Amino acid sequence: MLITRQLATAKGLSVGDIVSLASTPDGNSPRRFRVAGIYEPVPDPMRLAAKRLEARLHLPDLLSLAADSSDPLSAESVTAINVALTDPADADAFARDVSAKIPIAQLTARAAQGGEGTATVFVVLDRFHFAIAVVTVIASTMFLLALMVMLVEERRETVGILRLIGLRKSRILLQVFAEGLLIAAAGAIVGILFAAALQGAVNAFFQWRYDTALIFVRITPQIAWRCVLLAVPLGVLASVVSSWTLLRSNVLDLARR
Amino acid sequence: MSPLAFALRGLVRQPGRAILGIAGIAATGALLFDMLMLSQGLVVSMEQLLASVGFDIRVTATQATPLTGPPIVGMADTVATLAALPAIEEVVPLRLGEAQVDIGGRSREVTFMGADAAVRRPWTLLEGRDIDQRQDTGQPRLLVNQNLARRLELAPGATVTLRGACTANSSVPPTVFRVDGIAEFPFDQASQLTAIATLRDFARACGDAPADGADQADLLMIASRPGDGPTAAVEAIRSVRPDLAAVTNEELVARFQQVEFSYFRQISFVLATITMFFGLLLITVLLSVSTNQRLGEIAALRALGFSRRRMASDVLWRSALLVGAGGAVALPLGLALATWLDALLQTMPGIPANLRFFVFAPRALIVYVALLAVTITVAAIYPMRTVARLPISSTLRTEVIG
Amino acid sequence: MRPATGVGAFPIVEAREITRVFPMPAGPVTAVHGVSLRINPAEYVAIWGPSGCGKSTLLHILGCVDIPSSGSLLFENRDVGALPDADRSDMRLRKIGFVFQRFFLLPMLTAWENVELPQAEARIARDERRSRTAELLAYVGLAHRAHHRPSQLSGGEMQRVAIARALANRPVLLLADEPTGELDRATGEQIAELFDRVQRDGTAVVIVTHDQAIASRAGRTLVMRDGRIEREGTAG
Repeated sequence: MLITRQLATAKGLSVGDIVSLASTPDGNSPRRFRVAGIYEPVPDPMRLAAKRLEARLHLPDLLSLAADSSDPLSAESVTAINVALTDPADADAFARDVSAKIPIAQLTARAAQGGEGTATVFVVLDRFHFAIAVVTVIASTMFLLALMVMLVEERRETVGILRLIGLRKSRILLQVFAEGLLIAAAGAIVGILFAAALQGAVNAFFQWRYDTALIFVRITPQIAWRCVLLAVPLGVLASVVSSWTLLRSNVLDLARR
Repeated sequence: MSPLAFALRGLVRQPGRAILGIAGIAATGALLFDMLMLSQGLVVSMEQLLASVGFDIRVTATQATPLTGPPIVGMADTVATLAALPAIEEVVPLRLGEAQVDIGGRSREVTFMGADAAVRRPWTLLEGRDIDQRQDTGQPRLLVNQNLARRLELAPGATVTLRGACTANSSVPPTVFRVDGIAEFPFDQASQLTAIATLRDFARACGDAPADGADQADLLMIASRPGDGPTAAVEAIRSVRPDLAAVTNEELVARFQQVEFSYFRQISFVLATITMFFGLLLITVLLSVSTNQRLGEIAALRALGFSRRRMASDVLWRSALLVGAGGAVALPLGLALATWLDALLQTMPGIPANLRFFVFAPRALIVYVALLAVTITVAAIYPMRTVARLPISSTLRTEVIG
Repeated sequence: MRPATGVGAFPIVEAREITRVFPMPAGPVTAVHGVSLRINPAEYVAIWGPSGCGKSTLLHILGCVDIPSSGSLLFENRDVGALPDADRSDMRLRKIGFVFQRFFLLPMLTAWENVELPQAEARIARDERRSRTAELLAYVGLAHRAHHRPSQLSGGEMQRVAIARALANRPVLLLADEPTGELDRATGEQIAELFDRVQRDGTAVVIVTHDQAIASRAGRTLVMRDGRIEREGTAG
């Protein structure tokens, strides 16, 4: 038999050990197996918190161990049949075809990509995390606007003097736009670098906590671009809007100390 | 003018800025409050749900969850033995399975259960009359949930055909049931179709031979006597039947907390931590920038005789007002946000419709207020330090030079 | 507008060989070099000199805002250098009044509230604060603008409010740093007349200025150059 790393650690087992397995709680009719190997179970997000104390046997061994002696068909019964296709893209069509041809109502074939239930769980979690992100962006935008209003206020006198000299509002706004673009871009890049570092910390924490190799946070290029495309315009907009409110003031009021 | 009034006037001086700051704190605070509710929400909700069912102990054959492990065999003797224990008030055996029903020409899965209940029932009758194992009227009888009743337009007295898929026996013919009533099952998911019959009718529908299927149960639901409590009842069960696995509601919730609810507890902790850090950083920046813009004013007040402590306390009061106002607005905002997030998470498969992710508990509010207090203090540390260490003379000089 | 404490036999402020050195990246800068002087009760002293000669630094030291690098400063016969910061703050609050070139009125408070603020800080009872504030605003001729904010006042009016604020706790010494620096000549004249009146009413006044016309109104003028008092007498 093969056992998972988690089972080996939990029971102090190693390759070559002999263990007894029984299919009933009272341990009747045990059979002895030799641990032939230890494997890392495929991370299953649907079983995140479950302890992966699992073993793999040859099918005939499992059937003979778990068979119900009163049911003549139990040695011929399996839970599922896994099928590997030449072209995995055909999975849905194949599943529909097989389901239609099998006359037993309780038997269904489905494509192995998680299945409907799993997909729904991750769709829901995706929406949940997206909702959290939306709230975070709203909070950040409020803070950003407050800060930009303050920082722009510091430049009140400078802007007033520039206007007195004769610079147009559009000229000043262009400068503000350019500055805002630089600062927002730099901020977005720093933010992504920080997120990448945090990604490592979050994954390390959860992998330790759940003893799994599952990846919980992954910053893909698409996600990074999405963040940049959101952060930069927001930053530029905040600086331009707060500057515009200042530029609407009377020139003499701006320059007066 | 009191320090509080002075700080308030300082904030109100530029209302737009103050409102933006408070809005940002409110949004951050709402998220933080929600994460605190989420951290215990599922546990509290599960406790409430289990308590509402009326049974405080669950017994299975092994530690495995029902249907993943073996059934309890010799059910009748087991029920009689346990019901005779002084600490136990009632025992209801339950069998769990599935059935197929035709809806609109397509086969749909129904959660199908069998139970013999005497006084208490793990369901609530809404319409019609209840099933009773003591009455054998010949035709099998059924209770259905509202979803199933609605989908098949069933009312008490109607008939419905179910094809049991509860055991390995795949050749069982369909069974026609008479619907006695419509009931609510507390652990039903939002779109779940559920039906329950007596154990005898369940066994019949599943095609069980009388020798085996009828005398087993997947789960025993037990109510302890009020005076003894579930712990004493479990001890009594273990003393007469140490082979069975008995858990109280409390132990069951603890198990859920360790396993099924674990992800949400962890994510709420991580998100709460990040939110706190993020909020703390932004409020510190807000206060620091605001303080730096007032250095001339602060130096003048120091020159006029205002002490370091007085000026530092002004910063602390401003922090308290900003965070306090934002934190107060965050509460109703957080409750509204929680309603939205809860509805979102409710669509997850396998979640009972009556289970809530975000539950308001006094503990969450206490922790929230404590975190706000920490934020007020920590965010003010740097600007207070700036104010306390401000060199008056050179600041005044710098202000004149501009 | 009599000061709180009676005029005594000793000087209000006595500076003995005070020096103030500022460490700068390019090397230390001595802003005040071995200055000794006395300010007596109800005296009117002008410190005149070109820009950068150390006048403001000297004023800040006399007002216990800054500590000399060497030498000693006695305020009402107490060694200021030996006092903790809290005591110096208290001294500034109750004994010294400051008037700045840029007024430094709190923009979110009215004229009334600006004048009342130091009294509240000194824990003066509310009724006494009210009567004192009304008296001070009338003294500076702004009783009719009591409830206006600084943004609604002219430069001269703001400076008069600042003077009223500086007199709030009946100081024995009023220090003014270029009080007419941001004002036109006519308004500056009005402010100078107000300082004359304050001094006549018993408060010692020290004005730092580079305006000879203002300096000439003082009973004593100290001419400063390069951090030292070059001579005593008339400006120019």
